[in-house]
Amino acid sequence: MNKELEHSFVELLEKHQNIVHKVCRLYTNNYDAHNDLFQEITIQLWKAYPKFRGDAKFSTWMYRVGLNTAITLYRKSKRRVNTQGFDEIQFKISAEDYDDTEEQQLKLLYKAVHQLNDIEKALVFLYLEDKNYKEISETMGISEVNARVKMNRVKTKLRTILNP
Amino acid sequence: MDELELLKKDWNKNGSKYPKLSYDEIYKMILKKSSSIVKWIFIISLLEFVFWTLISFVLKDTKMFEDVEHLNMNHILIPMTIISYIILIYFFYLFYKNYRNIASTDSTKRLMENILKTRRTVKYYVGFNLIALVIGTFISLFYVLKHDENMLSQVQQASANGEVFKIYAIYILVTLLLLAIMVGILLLFYWLVYGILLKRLNKNYRELKKLEV
Repeated sequence: MNKELEHSFVELLEKHQNIVHKVCRLYTNNYDAHNDLFQEITIQLWKAYPKFRGDAKFSTWMYRVGLNTAITLYRKSKRRVNTQGFDEIQFKISAEDYDDTEEQQLKLLYKAVHQLNDIEKALVFLYLEDKNYKEISETMGISEVNARVKMNRVKTKLRTILNP
Repeated sequence: MDELELLKKDWNKNGSKYPKLSYDEIYKMILKKSSSIVKWIFIISLLEFVFWTLISFVLKDTKMFEDVEHLNMNHILIPMTIISYIILIYFFYLFYKNYRNIASTDSTKRLMENILKTRRTVKYYVGFNLIALVIGTFISLFYVLKHDENMLSQVQQASANGEVFKIYAIYILVTLLLLAIMVGILLLFYWLVYGILLKRLNKNYRELKKLEV
């Protein structure tokens, strides 16, 4: 791999690194796992970079490779032991005197999202990233109608988790 | 859904909360090793190959090997070994190719196809090893029954007593039993090693599949 390619890649990734951090935030729930996944996505992005032709935006392409890595390539089974997240731990402490503040609601929401499976998380992630259904369908490789249907199901599932 | 809107608001205002990695930190990352599932399938298949090769070297000077040598089976054994090595090397190539392909996939659809391919390769690989074991055992058994002097004299003695069928039956049954045990051990080994690695791939494949319907 030549230096110029390396340089352009690292520079682009440095600029758009928040996307990767956000993927990590949804798919992991502690500091070490976050860093591990960040590194794995970085490696996969770098491997795929020679194939990136610039016909998509770099950030759009990052969403795809990042999500695919989180969904499929990353070995996280051993890290699943004892991975109570920040959100969750904070939630437990304060849940005793629960009040209906926005803060509390957010913690519950993040906790609920963490209970979704990898694919559902991907849908929520793209939704949170303000992607429209066309973009979601392109990133996930499914039809627009399908994306809409799936998203509605995920919403229902979230509601069930929040109000059992 | 109001809740998701609330989450979205929070999600997007959190931009500054994430760690900010420097150019150098990211640069160091791309030099590091990957920990992906498919890469481990490739590495484990290589380790397994090294393990069996070492075993065959260790066994080279033992009595069992001398017995085999004594059978003069080399004209069968050598081509068989060469063929199986060629096939194994082809499998490593496939595992490596799967790894390279999956590592740089950018569409979920293609990812699914590649997961399927990886799964199929592992299945064929396990199948090949088991079939090679069964064929090898039967060829050896056949050879022992036909050409081993020890065996021939036993058969002669048995035929004098009218027990030829019995002695063949015993040999074949014992071999089948041993073979079944070996196949069982191998299956358990593959199930443990590759089964666990493939579990997550399979689970997410099913989820991806659901999206397709």
